[in-house]
Amino acid sequence: MKTICLIALITVTAGMAARAQSDTNATSQLLRVTDIHSDSAVFDGNGHTVTYFGNVRVSDPDMKLICAVLIADLPPSGGRVNHIVAETNVVMDATDSKGQPVHATSAKAVYDYDVQNSVTNETVTLTGNPQPQVEIAQGTNTADVIVWDRANNGFHFSGNYHFSPNLNAAPANTNSPPKN
Amino acid sequence: MKMKWSSSIPVLSVLAALFFCGARGLAQPVAASRAQGFTSVEYYPAPLQQQMKSRLSGASAQPEPGGLLVIQQLKLETFNTNGSPQAVVEAPECVYDTQQFTATSAGHLQLQNGDGKIRTEGDGFLWRQEDSFLTISNHVHTVIETGPEMNTGL
Repeated sequence: MKTICLIALITVTAGMAARAQSDTNATSQLLRVTDIHSDSAVFDGNGHTVTYFGNVRVSDPDMKLICAVLIADLPPSGGRVNHIVAETNVVMDATDSKGQPVHATSAKAVYDYDVQNSVTNETVTLTGNPQPQVEIAQGTNTADVIVWDRANNGFHFSGNYHFSPNLNAAPANTNSPPKN
Repeated sequence: MKMKWSSSIPVLSVLAALFFCGARGLAQPVAASRAQGFTSVEYYPAPLQQQMKSRLSGASAQPEPGGLLVIQQLKLETFNTNGSPQAVVEAPECVYDTQQFTATSAGHLQLQNGDGKIRTEGDGFLWRQEDSFLTISNHVHTVIETGPEMNTGL
């Protein structure tokens, strides 16, 4: 019997959404439900991938992801999923590790997970045309390539970077309400 | 969040098993006539030969020309070596092609793991046994429940 796991495949497709969750004791004690809807799906047991096609919607308590195609690679013998690709009109609404809202759009989003020398690398890379865009409380960032470093909760921008501040945003690191 | 991958369920394999079972367990008995209320059980190899590995059941299996087998109310249950449920696959109807080794249906397909916390369903499917390829054509919906005992890992 082949070792490829469809349930794992299924599970993996929730990866970006699931990863957006804070790994706190509080959240891990709660039952979480991740929903994935699509028009169709292909599970490739030999290629170790699952692909959701058409109106793909991933939803869980901390993140919503919309795209046209979602592809997840699976380790052949199980284990952690380390590569997920969302393509075409990707829209992501999530919260960062501090609970701040993040709204991102791109043509392509790639989730990668890797551990090298006990160091965890976990990123979501936004690329493509139209130019990727990330909106946070302080403003809107655009660049040719935007890397959301989830392990360190930071963004890296490269190529044609532009920032449009949100003039109504509260100053960083305060709890004061936005100006009217 | 960490996934307990050891508890993840090889449903693709389940499907393979399903249709292998269909080919091996049903093609012979129903070659000459329609089978009603059939059940086909597969056991683990020794020393666990008393332990059920899978149970395939259906309301009926009707042989058709061209090596086709029309199965109604298909249900496949697989079990771990300790007897706990591993996965359940259900399809109200499917057609298994014993020559092409494919299974198709315009109807519903449901898969779930042993505790039901990971479920997927859709309408219309094609399973190609030879290359382990499953296509669900319409209305695909996957639900993943995670909690203290089971996390998604990503």
